[in-house]
Amino acid sequence: MKCLKDRLISGLLLLLSLALCFFSTQKFREQHKKETLFPSEGLASREMLSSYFPGLIDTPGDTEVYIYGGQNPGGNILILGGAHPNEPAGYVTAVILIENIQVSQGKIIVIPRANNSGFTHSEPQEGNLRGYSLETPGGKRFFRFGSRLTNPIHQWPDPTLYINPSGQKLSGQESRNLNRCYPGKPKGHLTEKIAFAIMEIIKKEKIDLAIDLHEAAPEYPVVNAIVFHENSAELASYSLMELQQIGFEFRLELSPNNLRGLSHREWGDHAQVMAILLETANPSQGRLKGKSSLSLIIEGKDRNYSKAAKFGLLFVPFDSEGIPVKLRVARHLAAIKILLSSFNELNPEKRIEVNHMPSSSQVKLKGIGQFLCPPYRK
Amino acid sequence: MFIVYHLIVFYLASHFIWYLFRENEFWKRVSVALVLIMFFLRLFLIK
Repeated sequence: MKCLKDRLISGLLLLLSLALCFFSTQKFREQHKKETLFPSEGLASREMLSSYFPGLIDTPGDTEVYIYGGQNPGGNILILGGAHPNEPAGYVTAVILIENIQVSQGKIIVIPRANNSGFTHSEPQEGNLRGYSLETPGGKRFFRFGSRLTNPIHQWPDPTLYINPSGQKLSGQESRNLNRCYPGKPKGHLTEKIAFAIMEIIKKEKIDLAIDLHEAAPEYPVVNAIVFHENSAELASYSLMELQQIGFEFRLELSPNNLRGLSHREWGDHAQVMAILLETANPSQGRLKGKSSLSLIIEGKDRNYSKAAKFGLLFVPFDSEGIPVKLRVARHLAAIKILLSSFNELNPEKRIEVNHMPSSSQVKLKGIGQFLCPPYRK
Repeated sequence: MFIVYHLIVFYLASHFIWYLFRENEFWKRVSVALVLIMFFLRLFLIK
């Protein structure tokens, strides 16, 4: 009788293990689902990154490329979001552009999930949330909060020392950091292939200006910054003055010549494109942050950072109000808008005309959700 | 390699199941069940 009871308990424990495994599997698989984006009516075509470099076909690195305009000749612009999926302002800014803009002259290409693989997992040992929801007029939209690096399931193992395609020596895990792998390699590992495909877009679409949207920890010196390649120095300094006039403080950072593999360096060197990288301050990815929470991601509030600011340890002002994601998105949008208008002034023969781009003041006032489509729109 | 890896995990998982039914102490069985979850995840989930 006891034997039967023991077996029954063992059987129940086995079933419990299988049930827990089943529910974990559901949660895990959700990480690989892409959230639906709803492009505006101005969308000319939607391609996949692999159409520019077939080496990415059927890989987790393949991602959507949204193309606007192109009917009337003008400047060609590339905007990259999600190169680091743990930097929400870059990704959300790209999504807002996709869901709002119309281009009447020139062409704008937006890649919202540049490192698609990075969206399928979270940063180990950080306790980060799987994602965050933004309230839109028609309901909540969920967005993944991923990792800075490519998922190790898709690219493994890391080398002890990574020598990137430009010859820079880096720590092994940087081999999964898209913004260290430029200009990429057609036969390299997955992240190098993604970088190579983005270089292919820049070359094949004859891009004139390429903007990489990023965020950085508030204690990192290059924050609230425009990082520029020397061939876009005039554009960057011109834009800085205009941004200061509308109340946005940015610092200008020249892309270091000896720091290889980054977008602002290699895009300019290898494709002669005007390369710009924008950084805002994101407390949810810093080393000083407290518990990871929705409030930290959305409202950007953190007691540790408030304290660090009082000690003068940060490179941006930080108080109990935090730095909300809507403010960071507004900064990105303001910078893009000014960069485009400065580009038009400096290159009148390659004008770019964009309509319905939400203004930074509107985003600050109304919030991000007002400029996102409801979750049910077809 | 993929098949060899899964065969090894399957072999170890089957040993754990055998142990689960052989062991008399309740808490030891609970511990085994918890370890089994990780092995199942390896078998069915992780590529």
